[in-house]
Amino acid sequence: MADPNTKFLVVDDFSTMRRIVRNLLKELGYSNVEEAEDGVDGLAKLRAGSFDFVVSDWNMPNMDGLTMLQNIRADAALSKLPVLMVTAEAKKENIIAAAQAGANGYVVKPFTAATLDEKLSKIFEKLEKAGA
Amino acid sequence: MNPAIEEQLATNLYYDRTFDCETAKILPGEYYFTNKPMLIVTVLGSCVAACIRDRVSGIGGMNHFMLPDGGGDSSSPMSASMRYGAYAMEVLINQLLKAGARRDNLEAKVFGGGNVLRGFTSMNVGERNARFVRDFLHTENIRIVAEDLNDVHPRKVYFFPATGKVLVKKLRQLNNYTLVKREQDYASRLKINEVGGEVDLF
Repeated sequence: MADPNTKFLVVDDFSTMRRIVRNLLKELGYSNVEEAEDGVDGLAKLRAGSFDFVVSDWNMPNMDGLTMLQNIRADAALSKLPVLMVTAEAKKENIIAAAQAGANGYVVKPFTAATLDEKLSKIFEKLEKAGA
Repeated sequence: MNPAIEEQLATNLYYDRTFDCETAKILPGEYYFTNKPMLIVTVLGSCVAACIRDRVSGIGGMNHFMLPDGGGDSSSPMSASMRYGAYAMEVLINQLLKAGARRDNLEAKVFGGGNVLRGFTSMNVGERNARFVRDFLHTENIRIVAEDLNDVHPRKVYFFPATGKVLVKKLRQLNNYTLVKREQDYASRLKINEVGGEVDLF
């Protein structure tokens, strides 16, 4: 497990989903979690605070997760931020688009705690390697 | 690994002579949405269906699902069953929003959750499904404008998204075992297929 103080931003337009992800993260040992309800809200929070990790839905009003991801990658201050997409979109085109936009991982809902854990570990591992 | 279970768009479309309109029939695990003057029909036992529509534009749809029996506390946000239920609701609502519905305009009518699967040993499955759909909509601020939940009878639900009208027929006498069998198959499908998907591309 990475630093338990890792600061997460969970972006999803369904508060039920935000609560689920927040609780899963808590179970995995991460309790430093904030929430945003769409891409616009997410970007504003990311620009205002020092987040270490983003877990984002795809389909959201105002700004969807893919557009938010593209904005993150285009913003010099945020471009290196790890982003895990957690979405109900299982179509190949979506997954490829997310990969091309620079997502660090992709989880299809409904997912298990084990899947989320595995994805996070993989991302942290890669980041560590890249940083070393 | 077993393929993850996924909500499917209903494919059973036909012309209903009684109501004189195009009709989509949805089965457990399916959903359908439309912006046309159509009818969406389903038969519910212990499953629940949410009929959700934009009361301004008339874009609307229906799902049909149950919570998988994941053991443990299904009302806990940690449980697999709640994650599946939230997913089933999200899939329908996302499709409505993509089709142009506005979240603020959404209203819901919810049906089902009858205690009809007497073979089930665990707690009242229907009641659990009914409670979930109510709680979910409440949490998401989507108003429930009508409901017919619980009780012991299966129901046939006719939903006209364009107007929001719903007709419910309580089936006091089941002529055959199809409904119960279908729900049991769906329940075991949810159990066998791991409820959870992942993609390794990165």
